[in-house]
Amino acid sequence: MIKSANEDVRGEMLASIRRELAASKPHDIIRNQHAGHQTTRIQPAVSTTDGDEATIPVIERFAEALTAVAGHCAVVADEVQAAEVLRHIIERTKAVRIALSDSILVQRVVEKLDRNLELLANPSAAELFDCDIGITSAQWAVAETGTLVLESERERHRLVSLVPAVHIALIEATSIRHTLEEVLEGINESGREGLSRTVTFITGPSRTSDIELTLAIGVHGPAELYVIIVEGPDNG
Amino acid sequence: MNHLSAETFDQNAREALLDPQLRGALRNLASVFGERRKVAVTTVPDWEGLRERARVIKDETLAHLDQYLETFADNAAQAGAQIHWARDAAEACGIVSELLRERNATRVVKSKSMATEEIHLNEALEAAGLFPVETDLGEWIIQLAHETPSHIVVPAIHKSKRQIAELFAEKLGIELSDDVAVLTSAARRILRQRFAEAEVGISGVNFGVAETGTILILENEGNVRLTTSLPKVHIAVMGIEKIIPRLIDLDVFLKLLPRSGTGQRLTAYQSLITGTKRRSDEEGPEEVHIILMDNGRSRMLAHPITRQSLACIRCGACLNACPVYQQVGGHAYGSVYPGPIGAVITPQLIGLSKTAQLPYASSLCGACREVCPVKIDIPELLLHLRAEVVEGAASGTVEPVTRKPLERLIFRSYAFAWSRPRLYEWGGRVMRVLQRPAMRDGRIGKVGGFLSALVPPLGAWTAWRDARPLAHRSFREQWRDQQKDH
Repeated sequence: MIKSANEDVRGEMLASIRRELAASKPHDIIRNQHAGHQTTRIQPAVSTTDGDEATIPVIERFAEALTAVAGHCAVVADEVQAAEVLRHIIERTKAVRIALSDSILVQRVVEKLDRNLELLANPSAAELFDCDIGITSAQWAVAETGTLVLESERERHRLVSLVPAVHIALIEATSIRHTLEEVLEGINESGREGLSRTVTFITGPSRTSDIELTLAIGVHGPAELYVIIVEGPDNG
Repeated sequence: MNHLSAETFDQNAREALLDPQLRGALRNLASVFGERRKVAVTTVPDWEGLRERARVIKDETLAHLDQYLETFADNAAQAGAQIHWARDAAEACGIVSELLRERNATRVVKSKSMATEEIHLNEALEAAGLFPVETDLGEWIIQLAHETPSHIVVPAIHKSKRQIAELFAEKLGIELSDDVAVLTSAARRILRQRFAEAEVGISGVNFGVAETGTILILENEGNVRLTTSLPKVHIAVMGIEKIIPRLIDLDVFLKLLPRSGTGQRLTAYQSLITGTKRRSDEEGPEEVHIILMDNGRSRMLAHPITRQSLACIRCGACLNACPVYQQVGGHAYGSVYPGPIGAVITPQLIGLSKTAQLPYASSLCGACREVCPVKIDIPELLLHLRAEVVEGAASGTVEPVTRKPLERLIFRSYAFAWSRPRLYEWGGRVMRVLQRPAMRDGRIGKVGGFLSALVPPLGAWTAWRDARPLAHRSFREQWRDQQKDH
């Protein structure tokens, strides 16, 4: 077993917790009798689905939720169309330097761009501060909240999705799930060893309400978030 | 309005009431966050079920906290995090400054964390010659102004746009602007530099998952992601009550926390960090340190009433809903944790001898209990602590909270009359006659009216607001008449 930096304090703190919990026992008994409080049993999960699964297609639901938090969403039939959308965004933002993650989907789509752009694959942190756009994929998306889920073991996108002022995510339609619950199960499917060292949930662009509760977009993270959903030939 | 003491809540509150700008900001807070929350809770089908489940999860965890904490620590260590245990604030601050000293680190960025506010980490580091930079916009504003946070979610709520613009102009040399977008982008520009050069990032923790050793941090700005991704070393300070058993439990808490706090379905970012990187070419810090801190928390485990304080997920909903907080703001509580939850947590953390007034800083209206996403019965806790104040006063360990003789007399007579039905009824009849000359437009007092000038003890109430007159006929009288008719 790997030890804590200060084992002696660990022992003392755990002993103190046990001591206090033991002191509570007589009070717990009285409280349970009087108030009917159940304090030791986990109740079965409540249903947190709202029936939208059945009625709204997952892609539409995702697009709607993302738009509601000031993100932009485009649904395209294939990678050629995805490149087309990408070109529009790059032109509109007048971006020059573009950072790329190591996603194969991103590479395939970017190859279809014909313009003279400065593309940086796997840039360093220092280089990223000078990039205008970061393009990544995401491993999952959550339709109910419009959320992207990034697993660090499966793509090098932690900083590319964070440092540049514009983040574009290319995702496959098949990666979208209706609920957060499904994704939480998915990322932990193969137990502790399979769980990425960093999992990042992204819901819309960076925001703050710290000054007079007035919403300002793009404080520390990207000010613009575009998600391009590629339906692909199989999903058509 | 700064660095006030909890010992003088009464006086702090009186002063806060005379600050019109503060009261305007608080009204805005209550209506904006209050309304957003109301809408947000309707976007899940079974809000009550979720609250119940969250509380059951917290109760289960707290009842076996020793085991869950050990599981968490072992799993986080297995994944490469270094675990440190801290009994109190001094130990926690000591561990952080020692980690910085060993690494010769001077450039430190920080994301918003109530735990580090609680232990006054910045002051401790400054004493050691280190000046960590707060990167949450609100916290950064507060740091520039040398103030303390007045709300646990929006720390600079007490400051106006104008004041912030002046502060930025003075401290940063930028042009005076009351455009929030301009102020925000100035913060982005300046803090980018700090992020780029930072050697160590310090954060708090919202949830620690026992089964995986994962820590989860929620935010909207992206400064937490930068703080935990760019520097070589990440130090997370975490209260021992932040543990939840399973990763899937996050589903419940991620539905409750943003909706309760800011009325969002989900905040912009959640970072789930499990240990440190496995390969050297991976992104992220080389070292992750997690400091597990008690600092008065284990004491609260000793009774089921006080134990529920540890279920708090720091959403701030009870502050926004509290009629007392809405009037006096956060600084009056003289503590890092203001509002209803602060009034119960602070006395337990630092003892009643310095905080005896806080359990009385409430009208016991129960609004806090109603909005609490983990169903903490704050009024029950307040009464429990008031009992302790009275017991402490009797044994001489706590300064008694004194009321004016006249107020005491009024409450005694009130209690006497209310416990005797006939006297109560007769008193009601007399009052109905006596109130007539004081009534205008169906209300008593009409702020500034003659009653406030003429009758000093009652005028103290009507100087600031109208009073409701007694109904023309009491419920009991109406009831009796109804019975007669049948």
